[in-house]
Amino acid sequence: MGTLLEVKDLRTEFHTQDGVVHAVNGVSFHLDEGETLGLVGESGCGKSVSMLSVMRLIPMPPGKIASGQVMFQGRDLVKVDDEEIRSVRGNKIAMVFQDPMTSLNPVLTINTQISEALELHLGMTKEQARKRAIELLKMVGIPEAEGRIDDYPHQFSGGMRQRVMIAMALSCSPQLLIADEPTTALDVTIQAQIIDIVKRLKRELGMAIIWITHDLGVIAGLADRINVMYAGFVIESASNKELFGNPLHPYTLGLLGSIPRLDAALKSKLTPIEGLPPDLIEMPKGCPFYDRCRYRTEKCANENPALELGAVRHWVACWHWQDVRKLRKQ
Amino acid sequence: MAQSDLFATRRQSAQAYILRRILTNPPAALGAIVIGLMFVTALFAPFIAPYAYDQQNLDQIEKPPSAAHWFGTDALGRDMFSRIVWGARSAVFVILMVTLVNLALGIPLGALAGYLEGWADTIIMRVADILFAFPGLLFVFFVASTIKPGVMHWARSSGLSELANTGYLDYAVVILALGVIGWAGLARLIRAQVLTIKQREFVLGARAIGVPTSRIIARHILPNAVTPIIVAMSMGLGDIALSEGYLSFLGIGLQPPAPSWGNIIAENAGRYWRQFPQMIWLVFIPGLVLAAIVFAFNFFGDGLNEALNPEISD
Repeated sequence: MGTLLEVKDLRTEFHTQDGVVHAVNGVSFHLDEGETLGLVGESGCGKSVSMLSVMRLIPMPPGKIASGQVMFQGRDLVKVDDEEIRSVRGNKIAMVFQDPMTSLNPVLTINTQISEALELHLGMTKEQARKRAIELLKMVGIPEAEGRIDDYPHQFSGGMRQRVMIAMALSCSPQLLIADEPTTALDVTIQAQIIDIVKRLKRELGMAIIWITHDLGVIAGLADRINVMYAGFVIESASNKELFGNPLHPYTLGLLGSIPRLDAALKSKLTPIEGLPPDLIEMPKGCPFYDRCRYRTEKCANENPALELGAVRHWVACWHWQDVRKLRKQ
Repeated sequence: MAQSDLFATRRQSAQAYILRRILTNPPAALGAIVIGLMFVTALFAPFIAPYAYDQQNLDQIEKPPSAAHWFGTDALGRDMFSRIVWGARSAVFVILMVTLVNLALGIPLGALAGYLEGWADTIIMRVADILFAFPGLLFVFFVASTIKPGVMHWARSSGLSELANTGYLDYAVVILALGVIGWAGLARLIRAQVLTIKQREFVLGARAIGVPTSRIIARHILPNAVTPIIVAMSMGLGDIALSEGYLSFLGIGLQPPAPSWGNIIAENAGRYWRQFPQMIWLVFIPGLVLAAIVFAFNFFGDGLNEALNPEISD
């Protein structure tokens, strides 16, 4: 399968009164057609901002894409003009947001909101768009779609609204769906339903997915490949199985140690990662994880490690990944 | 099916709910009735008024109210009831036109300032500030004394004496002056609304679908700001009626014999103030009508605000 999206050295900054916030610091990754990529990390690590940068949706100013390339279907999305990026948004790349309670416009009917993309990108008439919108609502499992199409968002529950959001995102059959924590605001049972719907639609429609989350449990059941982000850097990248079976970065190890496991010994304690992520205005010159790392050495304080191959198709940005692996095995 | 029927009935009741809240609020209901009466009067003035507004009956000068002349007659023998009925038409016309000009200027300028921020915001809002600081009356004097004679002179010299001799220019002066000044408040309100609404996630959602900026403002942001706009507008209508009244009272608005409540008051007050309280109805009735309209708009606006904002409890 061919490459769908290739991001090279993407840097996004926010120019604020307190200084320049370095939100994304040279992120590079690629995504194959039909692949599901998980983007994992704690709040503020740049996972959402990097994806908003891909679609050029960060507020400018104060935001700014300082450098980098986003190659999508032979075009660099950082460079194309406004009209061209608009023709990509919602049409080739679509996005689903975290909070379904706020991402739908309260004063417009569901029909108006789903039809908008269809009318804009596919040139459908109102009647055609309405028909298609009903089909889409059925596809995401909304009962009595014909009766609900003219309802307003407040007449839907949270889980139903997230289904509407997914229907909107998939309306133009995009090649790439970016899901920005779409299940975080939902009950666990509804989460499972939404994940099942996305999995099924992916099988049926074959689009690629980038799934942003801080929930490792969600991503383990979904992704082909996972990128772990920290302080605006991708610090580890591997296939799903490889990452959970053979984590090489101390941060990834810490994340895995801080979630409860069903097969853990009784009364064993969770081990949180001590400390806080670095200040994104005054970035440390060495490894960004230095302050919190159990394996740190003097080298880590002065030089920031780049991604290097640690195993087959497994990249890690740590000077001591070999030690991490040895210690973990003991 | 049963479920969607349930939702359908609830959707219809939104307007009914607002109507009910206004009608069960006595001042607001009274305001609505007075406003309705004024609009009906304005619309059907030729059928309601028993005489033409400028028809003189020299046998019937300075008569007190009677069956033939409900509100009496003035010094020129004109029927006051007819003049006040026609005055409603002037007032409604000015109110509607000024509101139209205010909306046409205030909504796009306020929305642009709020959405774009930066230099566009600075320029638009500084102009609005200047309009706020600038005495409105002075501006009307300026328009009436400089631009109007120029236009009249041009109209006469180019054979459009129709335009110069009739009251059209007076209406134009009042509407232009009040319209050009009045948008600033509306623009401020809309800017503030747009500033908060554009931060909401559904705007990002609309951008993520590829909706162009102009459409985001018009279709996604402004409909969310409709409530405060309607309330501010309905409150402002009374102010416009009052402004038209005082401009005509001061003699820079509508000129006699054109009927305006303001100039009816001015004509009669000027003539009879020495003989107070003789002929009191000639001043009192048009004054009362104007005051009633201003109160009606304010009561109605308050009631509308309460009906549209569920947070203000009843």
